[in-house]
Amino acid sequence: MKEIDARGLSCPAPVLQTKAVVEQEKADAVRVVVDTAASQQNVKRFLESQGFETALEKQGGDYVVVGKCTAARQKKETPKPQSEGNIELKKIMVMCATDRIGFGDEELGLKLMVNFIRTLKEMGPELWRLVFVNNGVKLTIDGSEVLADLEEFEETGLCILVCGTCLDHFNLLERKQVGETTNMLDIVTAMQLADKVISI
Amino acid sequence: MIVGLERADDAGVYKISGDLALIQTVDFFTPIVDDPYWFGQIAAANALSDIYAMGGEPKTAMNLVGFPLKQMDLSILRRILAGGLDKMKEAGVALVGGHSIEDGELKYGLSVTGFVHPKKVLTKRGMKLGDRLVLTKPLGTGVINTAIKAGLASTDVIDKVIRLMATLNRDAATVMARFPIHACTDVTGFGLLGHLAEMVVGTGYGVVLRVADIPILPEAIEYAGYGLLPAGAFKNREFRGALVEFSTGIDPLIPDLLFDPQTSGGLLICIGEENADRLLDGLVKKNATESKIIGEVVAEPKEKIVLK
Repeated sequence: MKEIDARGLSCPAPVLQTKAVVEQEKADAVRVVVDTAASQQNVKRFLESQGFETALEKQGGDYVVVGKCTAARQKKETPKPQSEGNIELKKIMVMCATDRIGFGDEELGLKLMVNFIRTLKEMGPELWRLVFVNNGVKLTIDGSEVLADLEEFEETGLCILVCGTCLDHFNLLERKQVGETTNMLDIVTAMQLADKVISI
Repeated sequence: MIVGLERADDAGVYKISGDLALIQTVDFFTPIVDDPYWFGQIAAANALSDIYAMGGEPKTAMNLVGFPLKQMDLSILRRILAGGLDKMKEAGVALVGGHSIEDGELKYGLSVTGFVHPKKVLTKRGMKLGDRLVLTKPLGTGVINTAIKAGLASTDVIDKVIRLMATLNRDAATVMARFPIHACTDVTGFGLLGHLAEMVVGTGYGVVLRVADIPILPEAIEYAGYGLLPAGAFKNREFRGALVEFSTGIDPLIPDLLFDPQTSGGLLICIGEENADRLLDGLVKKNATESKIIGEVVAEPKEKIVLK
């Protein structure tokens, strides 16, 4: 049985210490000593979430949780630490304030925009928010050439934000087919949280 | 003096004339999120909330700062103050001064002064039989802040909870002002059940909460199951647990979550049954989209909170 002394530590440290022992040393029987009832409850819950059977004891003024791995231990996935998973990914926000790229030939501009939206997929999961303002909102309404592409983006979990003021201005509120209607505060907040903002 | 120290309420209220009373409150704490700008916003939203909970409108504020000059760069403080100031601007509050000291641990908050009509002061007292209870923000920020400390919260959840905590209770208060409200408080350090207990004790009534209707962040339930409840939730339960009854069918995790200390939590509003649905409708339409009617005031059992 592996002994863990987590006295003198406050939440969530006793749970983290227990987690380290259970995961790294693959311990299947542990005895965790803590000095508050709160830590005892938390350690008990953690061990049970990992498929342990637990028993609570008192030891002088301290609290003890004894955990034993059951035969049918089915380890649930613990929440991913911040150092792993998508934290490493950059957050890229793309803001389209127009439905065409560049000036000059309108037809070419539209063609380029359609191509741009389609090629955005190449950014992979780093593409974090796609925001449409001003004329850009016209890409999100029925009849838009990229509607299917945007819907596909949304299905993969990409957050698409469409400016409500702009839709309203063009009288397009009813015709928006994709994305969440948003406001300037959301857009500014997204800009602040993003690692990179690309404005078209 | 309309509201003083004799009953712990959200803020003090002092009558100046027949149609004007002053509300004063102060609140500060240590950082709960890593980003200094957002910490500033959250601390300010949290301090301003007490004025809204009293039915008032915040007017002026002063910064309170404790800063570890030897360990941290001043630019961090500037970002915190910028966050606080932006929140004050959003609330239409003028920053009129402040005080800072060198401190071993970073602390930030506000002293806020607001106005209210002396007859429109809302306190924790005044629930009536049959009243509905409305909560305007989901619970679980304490658990998620613990998960952030443990490095176990995902970026999406952090993002979500930061926005939630930085959201002013102003819109909810504006909607509330259109209705006759019997009692109000904001849900903060004592958790939903702790603050509700303060409203119930001494009234002779009881409260029934429908657990399924209480908005709780799903990630908070998940993290609580991993043993990430903050020590404060257990302290709150120890203090007020005797008032709470729940049947064996309810996961014991739920009452613990309802004691989870909240940072910049929502308003908890007591309103007559006849107006409750219209209030809820107004709240949901005005940015307090996760508002819910969570329970009602009953005759029996007296001065208990029953979870169903």
